[in-house]
Amino acid sequence: MLPSKAVFTAFCLLSAVVGKAQDCHLALRGHVTEADTKEPLAYATVFVKEISKGISTDENGFFSLANLCENTPYTVEISHIACAHFTQILRLTENAEVNFQLVHNAGIKEVVIREKAVVLTATQAESTVEKADLEASKGLNLGETLKKLPGVTLLTSGATVAKPVIQGLHSNRIAIVADGVVLQSQQWGSDHAPEIDPFTADHITVVKGAAGVRYGVGAMAGAVVLEPAPLRETPGMNGWATLGGFSNGGGGVASGSVDWRPKRGSLVFRLQGTAKRSGNLRAPDYWLGNTGAAELNFSAMADWRHGRWQHTLSTTQFGQQFGILRAAHTGSVSDLEAAIVSTTPRNNLNYSTYVIDRPKQQVQHNVLKYKLLYRINDVWKFSGQYNFQYNQRREYDRGRKSIAESDKAQVTFQLWSNTLDVALEHLPIRHWQGGIGAQAIQQLNYVSKGGYIPDYRALGGSLWATERWRRYPVPWEFEVGLRYDYRWNHVTTTGNGSNNLDKNLSFGNVSGTTGVIYRFSPTLSAKLNTGYAWRPPHVNELFAKGIHHGAGTYEEGNPNLRSEKAWNTNATLDWATDRLNLVLTVYRNQVQDFIYLNQPRDSVVLTVRGPFPAYFYQQNDAVLQGLDASFSGNIAPGLAVEGRASLLRGHRLTSATGSSQEAKHHDWLPLMPTDRYQYGLRWMAKGKRKSNETFIRLLATTVILQSRIPEEGLTKPAPPTFTTLGLDAAHTFWLGKNRLEVGLNVQNLTNVRYREYLDLFRFYADMPGVNVGLRAKLTFGN
Amino acid sequence: MYNTKMRISTLLLLIVATATFFTAGCKKDEKKTEEELITKVAVHLTGVGTGFDQEFTAEDPEGDGIWNVIPSVDIPANTVFNVHIHVYDGDTEINGEIQEENKDHLFVYQVTGANLTVSDLTLDDDGQPFGLDSKWTTGAASTGTLQIKLHHEPTDKNAADPGGEIDFEVTFPVKVQ
Repeated sequence: MLPSKAVFTAFCLLSAVVGKAQDCHLALRGHVTEADTKEPLAYATVFVKEISKGISTDENGFFSLANLCENTPYTVEISHIACAHFTQILRLTENAEVNFQLVHNAGIKEVVIREKAVVLTATQAESTVEKADLEASKGLNLGETLKKLPGVTLLTSGATVAKPVIQGLHSNRIAIVADGVVLQSQQWGSDHAPEIDPFTADHITVVKGAAGVRYGVGAMAGAVVLEPAPLRETPGMNGWATLGGFSNGGGGVASGSVDWRPKRGSLVFRLQGTAKRSGNLRAPDYWLGNTGAAELNFSAMADWRHGRWQHTLSTTQFGQQFGILRAAHTGSVSDLEAAIVSTTPRNNLNYSTYVIDRPKQQVQHNVLKYKLLYRINDVWKFSGQYNFQYNQRREYDRGRKSIAESDKAQVTFQLWSNTLDVALEHLPIRHWQGGIGAQAIQQLNYVSKGGYIPDYRALGGSLWATERWRRYPVPWEFEVGLRYDYRWNHVTTTGNGSNNLDKNLSFGNVSGTTGVIYRFSPTLSAKLNTGYAWRPPHVNELFAKGIHHGAGTYEEGNPNLRSEKAWNTNATLDWATDRLNLVLTVYRNQVQDFIYLNQPRDSVVLTVRGPFPAYFYQQNDAVLQGLDASFSGNIAPGLAVEGRASLLRGHRLTSATGSSQEAKHHDWLPLMPTDRYQYGLRWMAKGKRKSNETFIRLLATTVILQSRIPEEGLTKPAPPTFTTLGLDAAHTFWLGKNRLEVGLNVQNLTNVRYREYLDLFRFYADMPGVNVGLRAKLTFGN
Repeated sequence: MYNTKMRISTLLLLIVATATFFTAGCKKDEKKTEEELITKVAVHLTGVGTGFDQEFTAEDPEGDGIWNVIPSVDIPANTVFNVHIHVYDGDTEINGEIQEENKDHLFVYQVTGANLTVSDLTLDDDGQPFGLDSKWTTGAASTGTLQIKLHHEPTDKNAADPGGEIDFEVTFPVKVQ
């Protein structure tokens, strides 16, 4: 008699959460076949005693069960008219796909599906955007979506352009990863926001600390990882459509996504698109002239499984046009001084309009990605990914009528990137899991006449290896990773006014990470991670020369800059019980040769347009340390108190004149995030159906005045401490089988007048006032 | 059983669809971008009743936005001059464009130290100050500076701070002798 046999295929559906209380969100997908003929058994009955659930397999012999609990034995009984009764006891630690082959006289055997998790808990500090927050901020830009996470702030140019800042660092030190593709764009620019449509993401995680081993040289301080929802498993069609409106700016957004898996075969498709339009925003006392925006994005994905192979092809298109606050388009010192003194913005178009006039920016970003996955055997898998990215950014400045009417941009940046990643990974071998891989990248950057950074051609190669030791039920987990990156650049200028450049640069360095997780109990765990990461200086830091119109400053690079190297250590305590949830992270990031832009006291350069504040790229050793905390506790049924805190201290070792001969002393780093606290109440009520929820949250954000100012002083004193209030509410209805979620999101509920320290436009205008957003999301399909 | 034909054709369709996205992006942007640069400002003084006829030019030959040459304006004392400003973008004189858009432009003259008075600024089509041409009157021998600013789209031409954007700002050392 053949014993019952089950073939395991791990199906990781990107929802693994380890280390918290009993996880009951595992899924089991089963395929029932006849053992001898291998024919699928359609309409077989599947009954699971423990959850009293009885379903039948479809015409291809498939069934799926959701919301199963981790490490709980489930007795699965399968019966079919043509075959004998079959019983199997399963215990899941992971989402799994199991083949059931019905034979006669099967003996009952308990089988534990071994841990085959591919998505492991990072040993680094991480924050995930909660589902409710993700839905509530749909329609806003990526920065706004991340703002609520502790340790994350925004570097903004007004309200339209927002870049994420992780533990004080941003731009070239943070990788934005969308569906496994690291965004390659002009991210060096302080006024260049990430070209990502948050609607494509179902899950957003912010990795804090040195993420260089996973994501390369652009992730020295962390990464923002966006993952789409997994493609549908069963034949059919499903999707969602969202419609939203915002009162401030009279903005509207429409977005939708459809997944389709045809009945036969193993192809599945997804089509997704977003359109946004908004007009001038309004601060509490006046309109913010020329802050309209328009966006049109599209993405498509196709996935095909064939035996051991899996092919994925995807393409995304991001297109955005936005106005730059007219009142911020000044620059010469006299203009700046007048703006600082003025209580209302100068040259302001104090009315509402949807017209996007100069100065404005237009961005287009295209991604084409092909991914290949080959399961060599039960343990080893090979993956290869190729992605092509094209980024085009046009900056339109004001000018004489002949210029404005010509519809030509003053500066155009174009970046082509080709990246190839290969990896060989293995599931646990004697409890070690990990892999090795390599990456090759090629880039071409063209800047039109008028741009103040040069053209360059870049080639890069990397090699990495990581291993993780994990053995249930041992409470320890270790991780170690090593990576080597090499970058070569050929930099040239096309006569944009600076000295003619023709230089070859090369940088190479090792980065590494090591971490440990210790689980005290199912509710309490601690992790410690230390990593060494580096990044080469970017062309703008080396060779910039000229007026950066977007910022209204004259900037000059330093060709002698060396690579930045950082030791980043972070420790996290994670305590999650039924009633309480606490995550506390402390970190220390020691950066050698930290590169930053600084204005020596009152330094100006006499340009044709008048004296402009002059900023120079300089390099000093720096230390950034701080604390991120988030807390929530139930105080009554359905009612919880929430709190979050982000504290940061950034020091540098600098000399008064910047010369290397002079003795160095401690000083503060410029443009570091201020301390901020969030606190509030959340009320949740569950309806009759499982996902029928009503949810209301009131959250206050208090941002403290930045008192840690560098000795050069500030052009304008730091903005005072302020508190804003936000309200979120959502309710889910059921329209037959389809789900309709209606939500309300109010920002700056009390219409407070405030400015942020990290807002480059804080010299000119206040941040927007109250914004009431309404949205409706319909989830349809089977 | 899977349908090979359908699979291949769907994949082909997807490849074609994605290829069309990139035909727009794949070639280098051939469009020449327009750069509004003011690279030269020449102040032409003609003495009234005297033979004085001289031009003083501030130049930025590299177009990097920084004045290279700002000469000293050395002019005789106790004289009246008719002054005309020439503005250049590279080799092209853009006075014509500025005159055409005179309502959107304003020349502002500011004297410090020297015995020099600037008056009689020409008016624009609305009768508001424009100042492409002006009259300069020198007094006794002295030294100082003269700052000339060109405001583009000023918010209020008669205000102390006319607003708008500064198209150029040049400060000439002045020597009245």
